[in-house]
Amino acid sequence: MVGSMRISLFITCYNDTLFPETGRAVVRLLERLGVEVEFRPAQTCCGQMHANTGFRGEAFSQAKRFVKLYADAETIVIPSSSCVAMIRDQYPGLIAELGNDALRREFESLLPRVHELSEFLVDKLGAEDVGAYFPHRVTYHASCHGLRALLLGDRPFRLLKHVRGLELANLDNVDRCCGFGGTFSVKNAEVSSAMLTAKLQDLQSTRAEFCTALDNSCLMHLGGAMHREFAAMRTIHMAEILASTEAAPAEALA
Amino acid sequence: MTAGSRQVVLNKIRDGLGGITGEPAAGYADLPRTYQQHGSMSAALKLALMVERLREYDAEVVECAESALVATIAAQIAHSTRHLLTAPAGLPAPWLVDGVEWRVDHELSHKQIEEAEGVVTASFCGVAESGTIVLHHSSTEGRRVLTLLPDWHLCVVRATDVVETLPEYFARCAEPPPLATYISGPSATADIEMTRIKGVHGPRFLSVVLVRDEA
Amino acid sequence: MSAPGYHAVRDGHTVLDPRTAPPFPDAALTVLRNAQLRKNVACATDVIQGKRDRLVAEKADWSQLRDAASAIRAHTLEHLNEYLRQFEEQCTDAGGMVHWAADAEEARAVVLKILREEKADEVIKIKTMTSTEIQLNPFLQEHGIAAHETDLAEIILQLGNDEPSHIVVPALHVNRAQVREIFARTMGLPGLSDDPQALTAAARTYLRKMFLTVPTAISGANYLVAETGGVAIVESEGNGRMCLTLPRTMITLAGIEKVIPRFRDLEVMLQVLARSATGERMNPYTSLWTGVTPGDGPQRFHVVLLDNGRSAMLRREVERQTLKCIRCGACMNTCPVYRQTGGHAYGSVYPGPIGAILTPQLQKLEHAQTLPYASSLCGACYDVCPVKINIPEVLIDLRAQVTEKERESERRFFDPIYLGMLIANWVFASAARFSLAQRAARIGLWLFTRKDGWIHTLPSVGGRWTMTRDLRGMPKETFREWWSKERAR
Repeated sequence: MVGSMRISLFITCYNDTLFPETGRAVVRLLERLGVEVEFRPAQTCCGQMHANTGFRGEAFSQAKRFVKLYADAETIVIPSSSCVAMIRDQYPGLIAELGNDALRREFESLLPRVHELSEFLVDKLGAEDVGAYFPHRVTYHASCHGLRALLLGDRPFRLLKHVRGLELANLDNVDRCCGFGGTFSVKNAEVSSAMLTAKLQDLQSTRAEFCTALDNSCLMHLGGAMHREFAAMRTIHMAEILASTEAAPAEALA
Repeated sequence: MTAGSRQVVLNKIRDGLGGITGEPAAGYADLPRTYQQHGSMSAALKLALMVERLREYDAEVVECAESALVATIAAQIAHSTRHLLTAPAGLPAPWLVDGVEWRVDHELSHKQIEEAEGVVTASFCGVAESGTIVLHHSSTEGRRVLTLLPDWHLCVVRATDVVETLPEYFARCAEPPPLATYISGPSATADIEMTRIKGVHGPRFLSVVLVRDEA
Repeated sequence: MSAPGYHAVRDGHTVLDPRTAPPFPDAALTVLRNAQLRKNVACATDVIQGKRDRLVAEKADWSQLRDAASAIRAHTLEHLNEYLRQFEEQCTDAGGMVHWAADAEEARAVVLKILREEKADEVIKIKTMTSTEIQLNPFLQEHGIAAHETDLAEIILQLGNDEPSHIVVPALHVNRAQVREIFARTMGLPGLSDDPQALTAAARTYLRKMFLTVPTAISGANYLVAETGGVAIVESEGNGRMCLTLPRTMITLAGIEKVIPRFRDLEVMLQVLARSATGERMNPYTSLWTGVTPGDGPQRFHVVLLDNGRSAMLRREVERQTLKCIRCGACMNTCPVYRQTGGHAYGSVYPGPIGAILTPQLQKLEHAQTLPYASSLCGACYDVCPVKINIPEVLIDLRAQVTEKERESERRFFDPIYLGMLIANWVFASAARFSLAQRAARIGLWLFTRKDGWIHTLPSVGGRWTMTRDLRGMPKETFREWWSKERAR
């Protein structure tokens, strides 16, 4: 099912700014699978941060902007479950409230064409073995939006299973929130940190070298504490694992 | 005072709900009820489940045929070593076996009931899935205080009155009962460090005589 | 006292009054330093949640039951007027007396009036959060009426001068040694052991006399059945049966949302409630009574229907769903935030996820404004709610309402998050501005970036991040910069 498909990459505001290596990995991975990648530079943010913090008024224009920008894109791939969840769960209400029928029709047509990365790989490309090589012990953190909003299920595991050299360690309490929660991480920094500490305990038990996930938001929070604590574990977005080969190992391994 | 408040509250509700009109009946009839409403077990399995659930919560269970019911009641009472028992006024006379002092509930005081060591009653039905015994407090089941104060409750449940699922019990009620008690275990608490302790208030001991069909 | 150095009741004022409770982050910080409490909370919620999960997995029609439960509750709320009127009519026909209270003050006054008519100087109570919501006990005490709690957990809290921290297991933050100390002191049992069996036996003896002598009782209600005027109470211990059977007069206090249409609707509600609340197929005792039955139970029966902010929640569907709640506690048992803080941090008799949405709404958002933010929006609560309240959706809606209020406040210019959000929105409106902002951020963050490329300390809001986490410094190139350099045709 790998063929000449064309996708438009929505990198997300925070990946663009803080985790460009994830974006580079997505491009490398998809092109290796024969997918053509375009990037529309007019993109900025999906509006989730504003909507979830209570700045609903501001989220309207960001949602509208997204719809307008991607109305004519064949397929949109997003390496962030929480942004996809924003578009699937909250955009309908926001767009409806704008009361613009043309916009609403554009959005309804666009919605089925929006995919989170692992959804795209498994469902659209039918690719569970993406030819990756990553010889390390890895544990997978199921971010809440991916787990509960997108119902990703076992897609991440099916992808990791085929990565050559990768040893997958199961994470206890895998469905328990890491404590990031967007602005929750600063508005309730103490509770967020308590949840983080509990999650780190479970992570340490896996004795994995890497903690991976489909969302850099959680990984920024977990990885930030690992770095602070001189933990012998690092975080890496799954795109970077899947993009990694013998010839071109992940940038994080350099 | 509350007459005025009644109108205030009802007005606020009406104002809040605004556009939703129409009789509740239509909406009620359309409510989705795709949950299990009938049992799927054979009679034998259903009874076995009822017995298993009762024993899970430490009720003593004894099965007998209709013809052996009175003898079984007598045996259960003898086994309990209790001598002063109370019973509802409408309990079948043969069930008031010999060898026991009976205080039948003809307007007994709470004190008199409190003194009894046990109570014998019939029941409305049983629900096997949860091991629940249903009392509607009819004349053979007694008023509520009767099955509340004594420490031992001997309850007769007919196999033909055991249903598998809770909805089947509700389907059996031609009319909603004005009084009902559903018993699904001895009283229990887990309030202290989540340690389950049984027998807080209410009868600490439950014995069930499950009457099978004849033949 | 629930733990050394920790007092849930200080100077006679409860920490559970939303009007005076500290903001959630502050309240949470206090309890986070109480390792005993955190351990108790984690253990207790693990136990109940484990039992709940097992029984839900066993129930093949669980999702259909949830659908039905949610639909029944939503339908009832859509026709709340009709069902409340029907309940009142039926209950009155059956010999009950129905009173209406628009707010807490009226409810307290009604209860007091009834108790004065009864010449009662004490009452026995079945656990009811609604009575805590209206702060009934202190009020009665002021008027010379002793209100004796009879639930084991509630006795522990009452005798220990403490407050509930969970809606089903209110004393889960108290361990056996603490219970022993409370009972030994207040029941005069110096030799009492800390074995839960012995503690429970002591409570049983202490209460028995009360049940048999106090002629007036107050209860809440799990369900009010409109069709029949019946009231259903669900319990484990049997103190409920004692209070609703032995006394002469019964007063049932119930929020207006407790009503359900028909008797048979209990076939759904009881199945989902027991599994969700205590992880049982059915709780030990469920009692149903209708008005007054001559010769059986209380001969004088009053129902006090309480609004206290509920009617205001009916207008918008997103808020209305909050009233579907059947007080099972499953949401708090699964909540990763509650797991760390326990209930007292929420400053309300309703804690956890449901508390975070119900309390601010009952307070008309004049208080408890930090509660909608006491969540990482993980959604675990929505997954387990037996009546499918989309708690994250309500939390986000309430955050929007709180922010709307902030837009009118002068303080907003001193709130870095508020300013940051406005600036970010302006930046996101244009890719050119966004690129410029990224370059500005790179320059700004450079000052804080250490040799290893990581940031260890940030000022202001950033400092709340760097309190416990490092932040990797901004890379030399953003993705869009890389793309335009390497990839743009």
